Amino acid sequence: MEQNRRGAQASYVALTIFIAVWIFMPSAVRRLNREAFTEFQAPAMHLVSKSRDLARFWELKSRSSEDMAAAGRDLARVNAALELKLADFEDVRRENKRLRKIDSYTVPADYMSVVARVASRDSSSWWNRIVIRKGRNDGIRPGAPVVFGNSVVGRVTAVHLTTSEVDLVTSPGFRCTAFLEGDEQNRIVLVNGLAGNSLRAPQARISVIPVDYDERVGQVSKVYTTGMGGVFPSHLILGTVDLESQATKPGVSFKEGRLNPVRDLYNLQEVSVLVPLHQNPGEALLDQFQ
Amino acid sequence: MKEELPGKVLPSTPIDRLRLYAVFFFFALGFVYVSLGLGIRQLVESGKLKEVSESQSRRIVILPPARGRIYDRNGEILVDNRARWSVKADLAALQKEFRTEYLKLLAAEKAREATQINREALQETAKKNVLEAWLSKVWFVIDETNKSVKSGRKPTKVPAITSPNDRHVDLEALRKHLRERRPLPFTLVPDLAFPGTGQALSPQEGMKAVARFIEQFPVDGPIRLESDIIRTYPHGTLAAHVLGYVKDSAELPPNVDDLADTKMDSLQKLHYTGKKGAAGIEETQDELLRGNSGWELWTKTSAGYNQSRLQISEPRQGSSAKLSLDWRIQAAAESALSKIRDTQATVLPGAAIMMDVNTGEILALASQPTFDPNRLADHVSYAYYDEIEKSGGWMNRSIQGLYAPGSTFKIITAVAGMRNKIIDWDDILECGPSFRVGNRDFPEHEPNGYGQVDVEKMLSISCNVWNYQVGIRTGVDNLAAEARRFGLNAPLLKTMGEINGDFKESTALPSPADHGLVVPDQVYKTRIGQGRWTDGDTANLAIGQGYLLTTPLHMACVAASVARAETRTTPYIIHDPKRDGIHQGSQPIGLTGPQMSAMRAGLESCVEGGTAKLGKIPGLPYAAKTGTAEYFKDGKKAHLAWMIGYAPADKPAVAFCVLVEGQLDTSTWGGKTAGPVAREMILAWADTLAKEAPKAVSEEPGR
Amino acid sequence: MGWAWLILLLATYPWLLGADLATDMLAGVGAIIFISGACIIAPCRRLRPIQAVPFAACIGFLFEARRPIPDGALAITLVAASIFLTANKPLLRNTPRLLRAAIITNTLACIAWSIAVTIALDTSQGARPATPWVQFILQVSLATILGAAAYLPISLVQNFAMDRIGIPPAADTP
Repeated sequence: MEQNRRGAQASYVALTIFIAVWIFMPSAVRRLNREAFTEFQAPAMHLVSKSRDLARFWELKSRSSEDMAAAGRDLARVNAALELKLADFEDVRRENKRLRKIDSYTVPADYMSVVARVASRDSSSWWNRIVIRKGRNDGIRPGAPVVFGNSVVGRVTAVHLTTSEVDLVTSPGFRCTAFLEGDEQNRIVLVNGLAGNSLRAPQARISVIPVDYDERVGQVSKVYTTGMGGVFPSHLILGTVDLESQATKPGVSFKEGRLNPVRDLYNLQEVSVLVPLHQNPGEALLDQFQ
Repeated sequence: MKEELPGKVLPSTPIDRLRLYAVFFFFALGFVYVSLGLGIRQLVESGKLKEVSESQSRRIVILPPARGRIYDRNGEILVDNRARWSVKADLAALQKEFRTEYLKLLAAEKAREATQINREALQETAKKNVLEAWLSKVWFVIDETNKSVKSGRKPTKVPAITSPNDRHVDLEALRKHLRERRPLPFTLVPDLAFPGTGQALSPQEGMKAVARFIEQFPVDGPIRLESDIIRTYPHGTLAAHVLGYVKDSAELPPNVDDLADTKMDSLQKLHYTGKKGAAGIEETQDELLRGNSGWELWTKTSAGYNQSRLQISEPRQGSSAKLSLDWRIQAAAESALSKIRDTQATVLPGAAIMMDVNTGEILALASQPTFDPNRLADHVSYAYYDEIEKSGGWMNRSIQGLYAPGSTFKIITAVAGMRNKIIDWDDILECGPSFRVGNRDFPEHEPNGYGQVDVEKMLSISCNVWNYQVGIRTGVDNLAAEARRFGLNAPLLKTMGEINGDFKESTALPSPADHGLVVPDQVYKTRIGQGRWTDGDTANLAIGQGYLLTTPLHMACVAASVARAETRTTPYIIHDPKRDGIHQGSQPIGLTGPQMSAMRAGLESCVEGGTAKLGKIPGLPYAAKTGTAEYFKDGKKAHLAWMIGYAPADKPAVAFCVLVEGQLDTSTWGGKTAGPVAREMILAWADTLAKEAPKAVSEEPGR
Repeated sequence: MGWAWLILLLATYPWLLGADLATDMLAGVGAIIFISGACIIAPCRRLRPIQAVPFAACIGFLFEARRPIPDGALAITLVAASIFLTANKPLLRNTPRLLRAAIITNTLACIAWSIAVTIALDTSQGARPATPWVQFILQVSLATILGAAAYLPISLVQNFAMDRIGIPPAADTP
């Protein structure tokens, strides 16, 4: 009995010591610890994700050759159409280059696109993020925008050796500027992730909408990136505006609305990370924060 | 462990029982007292108490309305509201950093073996250092110069953060903040779109700075982004004197006190700072522009934070005002005026006005030097106030500047002469190089004289001697009466509030000159103690010199009236498409047909080959009269350059007036200095007309 | 014997991975499958405190690693729970008690990291969920149910692993 009690006391002392050590531990050690546990889990993530890909592969493989032929034919048509478009783009590109030269226009940002498979998704009331199967080894850097097609998925928040974490548009850590479709004056609004409500589709918040901005009746207005902040390229689609579910605070000087992400962010299989070729000041600052 | 107690619980003796009853009695008494008290509170005083508790637990938050917009006559936005983004530091979240920095400073101080360590000063320095470090990070992100632009294949590293020398945290502001608003975040950058105060970024560049901060600055951390609404003047200094600016006001906008079921006075209101117009249209149309404020009724926690909202009334934006100005003509006038500079390349003070001849609506009202109302939108900094004060930019010279009209007054002298039958349109006077009045020679500005001069020639070449003769023969009383008939003694722009009908009367623009206007006569000279009126004074009056004082707007109205062959023009600054062209107190000019034709011909030939020939526009004949008045500035003689007139000559549509104050030399001349400004305005007007013409044709095909 | 806990951790990890996969599938509705609390009960019954503590800490760190939870919030909670449980072995005497412990530990751990992450979010400028309390209660009740549901299969695997490593059975085996 006595021995037991002493043992219990000793263990509480141990707990206190543990907490004290944790609190006073240098942040570098903590970061190392976190990093170590992430890297420990990385191979498993890869394994799971790749086996999923394999399953998908076998699923596709079981399709009949007629299906394949039909798909191939469709693709050939699409290809032909795109080929034509490409020729147009070449003209536009040349014209654009000429105009930039005249205007001595500075190229806003140049990106290297890295395509990555989505390994896992994690969403709660506090965060919405996905893990992608590319990391530092593939040249991914924190802060880089992540897109799918012409729509924004989110931004890289943490980069590990072979995996990266991406904060989705709807995550509270996400913030960017946007233009609203139908606002002729192109005034910028603020898009903020608004962690989803449990058991409901996540949304983001659009704030600082000018009071005189009105949704066009019967139409869905898109939300575009501005391309002014030096992070996102311009004219990518963030989602659509929903002014009706105007939440807690009605506009004093501004309106507020909800952003419905344009795609089902949780069913993405593949995304591309736009790694900027030049480090922007924000990224340099991020280096110091870490 | 426990022993059985004896069975008896109640006291056994009578004395014990008595004690017990006494205790019971006192308890009962206490109970009755408490219940009575509760009853009274609950039934009798409940109303009052409820009120007290409500007033202690509720709070009204005033929601300021957005001010209305101001448009020009074509719907171009002259004044708008924009989102202002500011960067603030959360002091509570920075406590740890303050402490670390303080300890570091303290250690350094101790290492120096300083005899006396001022810990308070150290604390302050620590706070300042930490905030400045953050400020430099903010600048690092928003500063355009840090952008790496060179196009290369490799990721380029941005140089390490450097703290620019001129970005400091104002220690005084920090002290004041810590004293008065410690729980609130401290403002690091008040306006991201214009980060350095007064740094004139283009709107596009400003937006880029905002976007860079939003997208690049880390979301986590003690630095926050806040947004509110601020007045903006998209055209910068354009028409600044007409538009005015806004200033802070603690005055509650209307509609706050109509909270029907709540007693406003007993509730705590948060300190409210709104904006009100401080000059120009912003001031005179304030009631229209400011809108109705809204309010929120909150319950608050015992710590004073807002808890939950009970009621809300949303604010309503102010109505917009539509000015009669045409921004293109206004811009032309201002840019032409700003090109007139002295030898040190400082802009000469001046004014330019263009108005619609028929309706009296002012199309352009410019005054130099001017100011940028954008820099006054948040608060007026002493430095900028002084800068404007020193340049004389506060004064709206076109309506407040009092000047001798010089030769432009000769139009009125001619009208007075003809109406009083002193002279007719075809009478020719012999005009030598000077004219003797009493014992003084009054000079001609042409050394050889002009010889034979009639009304038409006089107006064209601005002959002084003709006016001396006609003026003296007409007499001071008739001259003064004629000037008054043209309204030179009547304040203008005073009663103009005719918007909507239910809007109360107000002045169109604040403080137009009214007391300073002088149309001199014998009574006037005696009143100011300058002795008896002489013929010399009359000769001076006849050429618009001497005691006569008027404003450029008055002379513009004279030009418009002459163009219509009337005497008065009421100027309007608010656009109304239904203006009837009836002018208050106006009457026919009172000249015969040939007399009027001679006048028109004279004013026209003034541009064709007379004193205004430098401003001639091929293919667009117009009428003008120049003037060069003498005045004394700092004891030295200087010239005022005047030019008034109307265009086009055959079918007057717009009238104008230009005035430029020459500085300490006599190189300023009516036609030479003021002419180009008038020319630019007329060209701008013709341009707008040309642009609207096809539209007007297509709009009214049936008429 | 000193590294027994590490082997046990490897045996437990597939369950955590499974929970992550389930979370992945439920991502559309924003629910987290949280079973870390239930994972430490069976080991606490048989391991000595010196082994149970690193085991609990690692379970905590594994959950925290990829999520924006303040460093150590969950790990410390689980370590505290493991110390308490190993010091009060009678609380884990029989199956109902073990189940009760799993439910309580899982719920408490979920509450702990939720509160930690809410506080961390508060200092940032991120938007808060519209109805934080509802979300909080939903997440915690989910954790309670999962604690009960996940305990039995996990403990089976863990007990099997401990038998193979050669950790003696608990003194008062039911």
